[in-house]
Amino acid sequence: MSTPSHDPFTPPPAYPRFSKLDRVQHIAMLTSFLVLTVTGLPQKFIYLNDRRLDDLIDLMGGIEAVRLVHRYAATALMVVTVVHLLAVAHRVLVRRVSLSMLPRYQDVLDALQAVRYNLGLAGQRPRMDRYTWEEKVEYWSLIWGTIVMIATGFMLWNPVATARFLPGQFIPAAQVVHGGEALLAILAVLVWHFYSVHLRHFNRSMFSGVMSEHEMLDEHPLELERIKAGGAEAHDPAALARRERVFRPVAAVVAALLLAGIYWFVSFEQTAIATLPPR
Amino acid sequence: MKLPSPGPAWLLGPALLLLAGPPARAQECLDCHSQSGSSVSFKDGSSRDVTIDPKAWQASVHGSMGVSCTDCHSEIKQYPHPDLAERSSRDLTLRLYTSCQQCHEEQFKKTLDSVHQRALAAGHKNAAVCADCHDPHTQRKITDAKGKLLPEGRIAIPRTCAKCHAAIQKQYRESVHGHALVTGNPDVPTCIDCHGVHNIPDPTTAQFRLASPRMCADCHSDRRRMEKYGLSTDVLRTYVADFHGTTVTLFQRRHPDQLTNKPVCYDCHGIHDIASKSDPGKGLRVKENLLRTCQKCHPDASTNFPDAWLSHYIPTKDRNPAVYWSRVAYNFLIPGVVGGMVLFVGTDFLRRSLDRRKKGQNRTDHA
Repeated sequence: MSTPSHDPFTPPPAYPRFSKLDRVQHIAMLTSFLVLTVTGLPQKFIYLNDRRLDDLIDLMGGIEAVRLVHRYAATALMVVTVVHLLAVAHRVLVRRVSLSMLPRYQDVLDALQAVRYNLGLAGQRPRMDRYTWEEKVEYWSLIWGTIVMIATGFMLWNPVATARFLPGQFIPAAQVVHGGEALLAILAVLVWHFYSVHLRHFNRSMFSGVMSEHEMLDEHPLELERIKAGGAEAHDPAALARRERVFRPVAAVVAALLLAGIYWFVSFEQTAIATLPPR
Repeated sequence: MKLPSPGPAWLLGPALLLLAGPPARAQECLDCHSQSGSSVSFKDGSSRDVTIDPKAWQASVHGSMGVSCTDCHSEIKQYPHPDLAERSSRDLTLRLYTSCQQCHEEQFKKTLDSVHQRALAAGHKNAAVCADCHDPHTQRKITDAKGKLLPEGRIAIPRTCAKCHAAIQKQYRESVHGHALVTGNPDVPTCIDCHGVHNIPDPTTAQFRLASPRMCADCHSDRRRMEKYGLSTDVLRTYVADFHGTTVTLFQRRHPDQLTNKPVCYDCHGIHDIASKSDPGKGLRVKENLLRTCQKCHPDASTNFPDAWLSHYIPTKDRNPAVYWSRVAYNFLIPGVVGGMVLFVGTDFLRRSLDRRKKGQNRTDHA
């Protein structure tokens, strides 16, 4: 037997990247995103009068069913958003991990260097930390997109209520924004997300939760260096437990409030979905 | 007897006359029937005036073309006439109108699909048959040589339908269309332009309702006709682009027999009482009227709500700027952002392929 690194019975080192909760959030989000896409795009493009879109709508049970399923999927996405907010709050307030997803000036420099390297104007690729600038672009696009979709979705779901505090033309404007932002998000996922985690190389970490040393070296060399240098943040277990004790009840209350908010959102008014029957 | 002008009806006529034997000339019949006061009574107590006004008959299309009385009243061959078998005056009409198909087969066949025939089949004896709209003894020619309805024919239509549908005709007369028609403008639709003629469909079906926007658009998208009155031809386009119209046209394409509660043109503009958009009482340009219209389906709609409907206007910088600028923003944002992404991804992909090839070469060099 040679050195342990060549031992076929010892798995190669795996660096944790995503917790189980992160991965569950991802799957729930991608499922709702897919359902929203499949039920949303035909609605956006109905006016094209395309037989294939009409067929797709009928396949899904007709336009009324499609609209209803779209709303269920939207509700699921809002629940995922609440879970994510709480998970981030836990990370920041209890575990006090470094805010590695926040954009920094360095990300701009990294992006510029990546572009220059691709054009042959820089000697090497940017060396990046836990989250690359590409991942931050995607994450914050998703955050921004979700805010826009929830806000405009509310207006389309509850037009009568919306018109009580906003000018009426904001509702068709919301329809334009909702459709535009949707198309932008879908195309961005197809180009950016598919390229960076499927095409460039298939990044399994969002499903397995871990990354190999080779992958780390390739994509997150700075993070790997820090880990190897033993830079892991030391936690005082007592303090952690104390913060946890405070966090749990507060989080429970906030979660209840947010879920109540979602319920308020989806049941705000009835007439937009169930208008009166025609005379 | 006046020589008739040649025409398809006339060509059919003689052929039938040869089969039926020599017809009685109208004048023979008129000897008695022009004297006023003669009538027939039926078993049910009803009676019918059988007087024919000779002037009206001569002026009628049948009289002027030399159609003979016995062409239709074929059972009458001698005097005194045989007793009538019918129990009532209406029964007599219901027997005689079938003779119209001898010459007017196309129109007669169409009526078989009409809502009137269906009502008749269901036992409603008063449902209109040919003779109820076209009195065969007085009906004048209402079409030109090409078969197109003459203006005086069009103007008379609502009066004809009003024989039974009087309440609807009253609404129609006060509508923007009806008012124009009675003041002599033949551009506007009369009853038959929306309901059809002869094969009049049931207007209460989902099918009729879903198809109705196209019906209105037949005229309202016609630039030539609309510009005379300064009316927009974008009405259908803007309706279809909006949520309501999108849904209705989808149903119409795919499920024309299904009911949807999304409004069609007449749900907002009225059916027979369609008003001008600036009519103070009903016009939808008047905000209160529009709000009241929205509230028919959205009872809690408030004053701002009707503006969510863009009133058939295409958004511009001045009208509905929020919609206009949202559209402009995404027209730039989508190609800008996605284009930028494609550029980066493209160069990144190329660069990585080049790097890999170089690395592969290095490896073979070392080997």
